[in-house]
Amino acid sequence: MNSSIRHSRALAVAGLVLAASAARAQTPDPSVAPVRGQVLDATTSTPVPGAVVRWLSNPAGATTTDEQGAFSLVRPAGTDNRLIINFLGYLADTVRADSRYLRVPLRRSAELGEVQVQARALAYSGLTPTNTQVITSRDLTKSACCNLAESFETNASVEVSTSDAVSGAKQIQLLGLDGAYTLLTLENLPALRGLATPYRLGYLAGPWIEGIDIIKGMGSVVNGYESIAGQVNIHLKDPAKTDRLHFNAYVNDMGKFDLNLNLATRLTPKLSTALLLHTDHLGGRIDRNDDGFLDLPRATQFNAFNKWKYNSGNGFVTEVGLGALRETRQGGQVGFREEAPGPYYGITQETNRYTGYAKASYAWAGRPYQSLGLLLSGTDHDFTSRYGRRDYDGRQRTGLATLLFQSIIGTTAHTYRTGLSFLHDDYRETYNPSTTSAALLARNRREQVPGAFGEYTYQNASNLTVVGGLRLDRHNLYGWLLTPRLNVKYDPAKNTVLRFAAGKGLRVANPLAENSGMFVSSRDFVISPDLQPEKAWSLGGSATQYFNAFGRQGTLVADYYHTEFQNQVVVDSYTAPDQLLIGNLEPGGRSYSRSFLAEVQVQPLKGLEAKAAYKYLDVQTTYSGELLPRVLVPRHRLFLNLAYATAFDKWRADLTVQGYGRRPLAPEPGTADLGRSLSPRYALLNTQITRAFKRWEVYAGVENLTNYRQRNPIQGAEAPFGPAFDAAMAWGPVYGRMSYLGMRFTLP
Amino acid sequence: MKFFPSFLLSCLLLISSGAFAQTKNKAKGPTTETLQIKTSAVCDMCKARLEKAMAYEKGVQQATLDVPSQMLTVTYRPDKTNPSALSAAIQKTGYDANGQLADDKAYERLPECCKKTNDVH
Repeated sequence: MNSSIRHSRALAVAGLVLAASAARAQTPDPSVAPVRGQVLDATTSTPVPGAVVRWLSNPAGATTTDEQGAFSLVRPAGTDNRLIINFLGYLADTVRADSRYLRVPLRRSAELGEVQVQARALAYSGLTPTNTQVITSRDLTKSACCNLAESFETNASVEVSTSDAVSGAKQIQLLGLDGAYTLLTLENLPALRGLATPYRLGYLAGPWIEGIDIIKGMGSVVNGYESIAGQVNIHLKDPAKTDRLHFNAYVNDMGKFDLNLNLATRLTPKLSTALLLHTDHLGGRIDRNDDGFLDLPRATQFNAFNKWKYNSGNGFVTEVGLGALRETRQGGQVGFREEAPGPYYGITQETNRYTGYAKASYAWAGRPYQSLGLLLSGTDHDFTSRYGRRDYDGRQRTGLATLLFQSIIGTTAHTYRTGLSFLHDDYRETYNPSTTSAALLARNRREQVPGAFGEYTYQNASNLTVVGGLRLDRHNLYGWLLTPRLNVKYDPAKNTVLRFAAGKGLRVANPLAENSGMFVSSRDFVISPDLQPEKAWSLGGSATQYFNAFGRQGTLVADYYHTEFQNQVVVDSYTAPDQLLIGNLEPGGRSYSRSFLAEVQVQPLKGLEAKAAYKYLDVQTTYSGELLPRVLVPRHRLFLNLAYATAFDKWRADLTVQGYGRRPLAPEPGTADLGRSLSPRYALLNTQITRAFKRWEVYAGVENLTNYRQRNPIQGAEAPFGPAFDAAMAWGPVYGRMSYLGMRFTLP
Repeated sequence: MKFFPSFLLSCLLLISSGAFAQTKNKAKGPTTETLQIKTSAVCDMCKARLEKAMAYEKGVQQATLDVPSQMLTVTYRPDKTNPSALSAAIQKTGYDANGQLADDKAYERLPECCKKTNDVH
């Protein structure tokens, strides 16, 4: 007996525990015994098997609950005794393991979406299997956020460029590929596709947006076969959670104003609604560079969206959204008047758009991982436009229905989603290259595409997620389309995440709408008659490292994606200076995009966040037998963002620097010179300051602080109907420095 | 439109001079009082929410919530606010203050984990 005490004491000393703890070594103490417990469904009190239980301080040592919902977990070193309990379909919970036996009731999450986006979450998620970046509504207030285009200004992955120097249309680029290759989804439903593409970034007001997820590379097959470069998903304000009233007013030094009003109310505990209103107007004729052309078109937009949400509380959730938009634009020469054009060059445009969606989902009681959803959406997009003497009108009517079932195989380590979809897309376009002749071109297309898809997710309890998806669609014009996709996420260490994505994407191009920036040029459109769908394989991956710098968490991300087109509708402005040749990728030709991004985010001081990124883009296509870099895509890009906020965000200041490398330019029309030229490199500086009060916020800012401008954005501006006219080679800012002022008012 | 940049600049100057004025007041150190209020806050998320809401209340210099004891300690300037205004502010954020019940609408908007039916966690 005596010797055993001595023995245990010796052990204790050997174990670097002081002599005083010898008594502890003898009798098991509750503080060293493993924590045992049971996880229960909060409403039904039935055990929850398969839930992941881990320590907050030590995420690596995780366990899952057994058939009875029971678990047992050894305590880690340290004083933090908080446990995290996670399970698909339930709200994650954090509990303190103060006693030896815990009973944890888990509440079911009634959300329709996948991962909920919270304010101030990590910009690079550590949870999703895809390379996802999140822009929160707080990030959105960093830029003069009038619409979606400005939302990406403080983000390095997505680039926003102006499509030409006259129409003011903005485009996003992901991985160096045009906006059309990025699938835009609204509440996870494909939206703003097809003919809406050229101006779509202006169709969603910034204050409506709750958050944006940017998914690079191949995403899920559930949303269709169209995404090639990636997916941008936008969440609008949730009627059940958003503020009762939010008002935003903005005015800039060009006289453009922007008004937004969000109203939300809970009619009953189960039913809530939000009304989102937006209008903007620019009435003045502004020509700061004295080239006789308006720097920005005069434009007026009215935009309204009404969202309804019904949550029965027992698994049934319905969401309905209805939107209407009307926009008129008028640009071109200063002397142009729509009613009396005279000799002047003008652009006029009118758009009317109606859209609606409905989502209904049912989650089984006691089986929250199992759900059935029906997603419906419909859009009518109608526009008329005129660019000089070119007339371009169009209408697109789209209907999309998806039936989605989600469940598990055995345990939640194996989940699957499967379903059916039907797409109806009716395109009607008329194009008249010159109103003086009658060479009217009608492009009508009706697509009817039934499809089926399945997606399987394997998720072990600690560090590996594999998502494999396959979809098969029967296209009425192009036959069977098979779309395989794979996403893998692996955490080799506690703070390291590796992701891999591969797959195929496919889309039918709309050569007129997607190149509408080229209308503002003397080039003739030459469209080959037999355009095939664009098909591309994409392969890529990313590495994310979370680290500790200056006592706070930092993130380092590097990613690389290679997209190789099997077929592409190639837009060739190199071969002939007077023509824009649009045709299939030539046999034996190549078209690819290689994109590398490295980004670091740190917080050197409390409240100060710094982001720096470098991007390398190599986008090349075979044009008439020659592999050449894509027009206007810079090879190098630098990005720097400093954001400072005092405690509780009373003051916020933001500085963004964007550096653009040299961009290849197409030859100027009207000249015989086919030489290749490059645009100069330049940098843009944006800054903003916000002061918050209890209900009010006031902000002011300057875009393009150094007043950098492209000197001659419009070639041949003096003779817009002549052979040398070209406003499509817009590589830099047209209107220079712009300052703005705004306020927000919120009633929670 | 030339007036606009200068107008903006003067606005910025105004805002920042306001800030300087504030810091000067703080430096002078007017008399402050401290109040302790028992709340129905249950977690760290409540702490962030409540402390932020109090920071934007008139006259509040500092507010700290101790989650285990549910006690909120507020340092405030008695010439600008008073204990009943402070406890009303807590109620309007969705929490009970010294046994006075939270504002119903504000309470409903609290995230699930902040509802008072939960234990302190």
